[in-house]
Parts: sequence; structure tokens; C-alpha cells
Amino acid sequence: MNDIVWLTMRRMRTPLIALILVYTFSVMGMVLIPGEDAAGKPIQVGFLDAAYYVAIMATTIGFGEYPTAFTHAQRLFAYFVLFPNVVSWLYAIGTIISLFVDPQFRAVLMRSRFSRRVRRMTGGYYIVCGFGNTGRMIARGLLRRGIGAAVLEREQSIVQSMALDSDFANLPALTADVTDRRLLDMAGLDKNLPHCLGVLAITDDDHVNLTIAITAKLLRPDLPVLARAETQRVVDNMASFGTDLTVDPYTIFAKRFGLALVSPVKYLVQDWLISVPGSQLRKELKPPNGRWIICGVGRFGSRMARILDESDEPYTIIDVHPDRVQSRPGSVLGRGTEATTLREAEIESAVGIIAGTGDDVDNLSIVMTARELNPGLFVVARQENPLNDQLFDSSGADLIARRSLIVARRMLAVATTPLLPVFLDHLLNQDERFARTARHRLESVLGGRSPGLWTVRLSGEWCNSIREAEREGISIRLNHLEENARFPSEGKLPCVCLLLERGSLRTFLPGPEERLREGDRLLFAGRDSARREMLFALREPTVLVSVATGRPRPRGAVMRYLARRRSS
Amino acid sequence: MNLEKVIFGFFIVLAATLNFGFFLGDIDNPDHHHAIELGAALAVSLIATIMKFGDRSQMGAILLATSLVADLQLLVAVSVWAWAAHVSDFGVTSEVLASIVSLSGGALLANLVSVTLLVAETIMIRR
Repeated sequence: MNDIVWLTMRRMRTPLIALILVYTFSVMGMVLIPGEDAAGKPIQVGFLDAAYYVAIMATTIGFGEYPTAFTHAQRLFAYFVLFPNVVSWLYAIGTIISLFVDPQFRAVLMRSRFSRRVRRMTGGYYIVCGFGNTGRMIARGLLRRGIGAAVLEREQSIVQSMALDSDFANLPALTADVTDRRLLDMAGLDKNLPHCLGVLAITDDDHVNLTIAITAKLLRPDLPVLARAETQRVVDNMASFGTDLTVDPYTIFAKRFGLALVSPVKYLVQDWLISVPGSQLRKELKPPNGRWIICGVGRFGSRMARILDESDEPYTIIDVHPDRVQSRPGSVLGRGTEATTLREAEIESAVGIIAGTGDDVDNLSIVMTARELNPGLFVVARQENPLNDQLFDSSGADLIARRSLIVARRMLAVATTPLLPVFLDHLLNQDERFARTARHRLESVLGGRSPGLWTVRLSGEWCNSIREAEREGISIRLNHLEENARFPSEGKLPCVCLLLERGSLRTFLPGPEERLREGDRLLFAGRDSARREMLFALREPTVLVSVATGRPRPRGAVMRYLARRRSS
Repeated sequence: MNLEKVIFGFFIVLAATLNFGFFLGDIDNPDHHHAIELGAALAVSLIATIMKFGDRSQMGAILLATSLVADLQLLVAVSVWAWAAHVSDFGVTSEVLASIVSLSGGALLANLVSVTLLVAETIMIRR
């Protein structure tokens, strides 16, 4: 706000001084020159009358000669001061108008509006730096879970187009150099903005993300920073100063591919939990063992190659860079889009192909040619541009690496359900039996659609029911919470408790007899209807007690008193 | 069977019916409106309110609010009647009666809202 006032005052200095000088001179003249009334008697024009006359003259409104018809002397004076007055008025007005259209002034105006909107935020929000496809997906996911976002984006056209999207029209957004410390401050790094939950650095430039992460960690070490990075060097660099999560989409994808090679069940459970809620559940997927072909060993291909190395699968490389081909004997020089190159790599005897070049059209072409030559191939394709979604879907690839989707899912999972990564880590480190139990429990409630995830923290208003039970000496167990409190005939709610966290104690896939206490955190996966029923039961004070005792519990004070009298 | 529901339902519906009985008739005809019926409606409505004391569920809070509104309207109606009959020197004229009956009409509306909420809760929660 101060910037606007200051800038206006500085620009208006000259026109205002000119206006005041001309105006004062004209008023003085009008006062000094005597007029005459209707009878021809000389009169003195007062200051008010003179100022009024000059004002209506200078603004070209011109009600006429005032207060009486002018003498020649007055007319002569008015004639001379008329032009400088009008000119200085136009000058002042012109300056103000040019100020409004001035890009610098508009930038200040936008910044102050952004800052005002951020300060008015009432709930928790993340600072989203970069609003490309990933940023858009993440912001939508955050909003759907009731978390806000403050957007900083370099491209003006993207910020302007946000106003047209009803989902994002009310988000504070600013076109800005996202590495500018003052803007990050304004967006939420300032300690006076209590609602900021963290920073998401998801521009498509690794270096910019690095700068954002460092800035945020230096200014507010307590705030979590989630950053995207696509080269190992930057990932290591970010980790070195405590970035809370670095998301390298290709490594994530390669690791998941590796998991599918070793343990299809673990892969399946992981995939169900991280896919978009409500989408079709993925069927079991088993990449075959045998010789693979990798087309393009850039950032993506090299990570896939490392995973194949780790699980001792042989592979053949096809690449256009001679140095990459030379480093591994048996590799083929070429693009992989032509049948000859693929034949040279002995595609007929391969079990799978990874189309990992940086070009979507090339990858599609590789997939189509390869499937023609060997229809039984397991196909992994890399997709860069989200506009090609449908093309890749219909290409028949078994696995598609979508960069922005991978980043968005991982960041959303960490930002909205912090307990999920804990569970997934545990899943990877446990034996197959744990994964099979999880799969079995999920399968029985999901009905073919991937689950929504929610965290319940038993505190505040979400603990009314449990506190009431504690007062009565009744213990509430997990199976009470998983029952349909409103319609007992409907049976259990379609959800699975994945994790119970009590202080530093973590119980994975807790059993139905687990007792719930105030302060517990629970991670559930299930259908949305289950979430609504559960939150209803937790908030209403007597519902869970009724479920636990099997008897409706009196709600009013009078009936409670009578019930106590009768039972004692 | 939930005993609390039976008792509360009884009082809330009785308050509505008594109130309706009082409200029925020409608005300013003293033959159509009996003081005892108004008094009974007030008493039953007060009991229904007390039954909702201490209920911290969401529906309980709204039911408490609506029955408080009904109490307030009936209380004002009774006060106007008492004042006109015993304090003022003009007695319960047809103008005074009209305002008493219209106040009880407001209370009737609040009673109807209570009954609707009660029905909604019964349909919504089958436990």
C-alpha cells in the first residue's frame, strides 16, 4: 500500500506544483481586479468567488462569468490565464492516467493486492512456485482437501488465465520472478503469516527450484520445503541443506518399476494408494524377466537401466549419441523409431521395451513399431507433454511415465496425508505377507475403485465422542469407529485403517480391537462415504458411545440424570 | 426403542398441537381463543426445551434453538394477555387479542420447524 502512495506522489509532484502555481496566480488576479455590479458600482471579488470561478474555468465546465458580469479588465485577465489553467489541468489528469497504465505501477498494484489476499487467508495454505501442469494438478488437489495455495508464476499469461478458471479465480496469484526473496516473504515466509504450511518449488527449472528451496530453508527452517529436481546433482544438493522432500519423477518411476519387477503385490498396493481417488483399480502387473531394450538413455533411460542392473535383467541400449552407445558393448546406434534399428537390437527375442527418448512422437513411434515386430512385448513409455494423454493411453503401453503426474501425486501425498509416506516406506521394507494382508483388506472394501485417503486426528471437535466415552468409563475401539453409526443395518464402513500413530508409537494395519485414545492419529483408505460417516460419528458427542454399548444413549441432561438414577 | 426420543417427540408434538388449537379461529374473536390453551401450550413448550438442555449434538443444538424461539413468542403472548387483563384499563379488546394470536402463530411456525427437524433426524439416523 505504501508503495502505491509513494509512487503516485512522486509522479504527481510536477503536475501538482504547476497546477497550484497557475491556480494561485489566477485567483490572486481575480481578487485584485475590481469588478462592477449591475448598477455599475465597483465591487471587490471575494476569495471564495474568485476560487470558484477559476475552478469552473480551469476544468472547462464554464458556468459563465461569476459573481457578476465581467468588466473588460477582468475579461482580459481571464483570457490570459484561461490557457495555462486548462493545460495544467490536462497535464495533471494525463499524468494520473498514464500512471494507471504504467507497467511498473500495475506491478506494484498487483503485488499489494497479492499481499492483501495472502494476509486475509484464514486457513492453512502452501506457497506454490510455478503453475505449469504440475502446479495446476497440485493446486486442484490441495483445494479439494480444503487447503489453500498462494501461487507465484513467472509467465504473465498463465496467471491471467487463472482468473478464467473457476477453481483458481480466488487464489492469490502473482506474476513474478519466483526466486525473489521479498516475494517469497510476502507469500508466506514472513513470520507474521501464521497460516503458511510450506513451500512447493515445482517450476520446470532445477536451478530455480534449488534457489527457492535454499531461500525458504534459510528464512524459515521450520517450514517444510517440497521441491522438484530432475538431476541427481541437484537432488543431492537439496538434500544437503535439509529440503524435506525432493521429487525426482524419473527416479520415482524407475523405483516403482523396479518394485513391480521384484514384488508385484507391493507394487499393486502402492499403486492403489497413490492413484487418483475414484479411478479404476489397476490389475496386477508383472513385468516379465528376460532381455529388455531401452531406447534413449538420457535422464529417464539411465535410471531405468540402473534398476534393470540391480535386478540382474539383461538389456540392450538404442541411442542416437555415439558416446552412450560406445560405453556399453552390444548397443545399437539409432533412434529406435525404425524397424531396422529395432531388428538390429534383436527385438524378436526381447521381453520388453522402454521408450525413453525426450520426444513424445518418437516414443509413440517406437511403441507402435516395436509392437508390430513383437506383439508380446511389455511396453514402458515416457510421456513429456500432458496434452498427449489420450495418444499414449491408446498406444497400448503397459506402463506410462508421466512426469507432471508423478510429481503432483507425490507432493500431494506428502502435503495432504503426511502419514501415507510412512506407511509406504513400511510396506517396502516388510515381507510379502504384510503386502498381501494390506491388499486383501483393501480389495474387500474398495469395489474396484481406488480409495480416497484421510487422516483423523483425535483432538478438538473430532474427539467429542471419545471424550464422552472416557468420562463414562467405556473404551472406544477401532471397530466401533469403522461401523456405520447412522444405519447399523448397512454394516461396516468401506474403509481400512492403514496406520495408527500414538506419540512415537506406530501400529501398521491395526486390528479391530485396538483401543482409541485422545491425541491418536489414524490414516484411513476407503470410499468417500466412509469418511463422511466417520467424521459424523466422531463429532457427535454420544454416537460412538451408543455404538459401543449397543444402546441409544440419552442426549439431554434430564434424561441422563434419570438414567443414572435408575441404574444406581 | 429409544425412550428419550419417545418423550421428547411427545412433548414437541403436543406443544405444536396445543398451539395450533389456540391459533385456530378468527384472529380477533375472543370465543375462538381460550387462555388455558395458551397457558398449556407455553408449559409444554417449556418442558420440551428443558428436555433438550445438555444435548451437544448438532441436531440437538438446532432443536434447542427452535424451541427457545417458540418459548419466547408464547411468553410474550401470555405477558400481553396478563397485562391487558389485569394492568391496563381497557381489558382484552379484539386488537389486543389479534396481536396475542399472531404471536402464537409465530410460535406455531417454530413448533412446526421443530417437528420437521425431529422427523428429519429420525430418517437420517436409524439407531
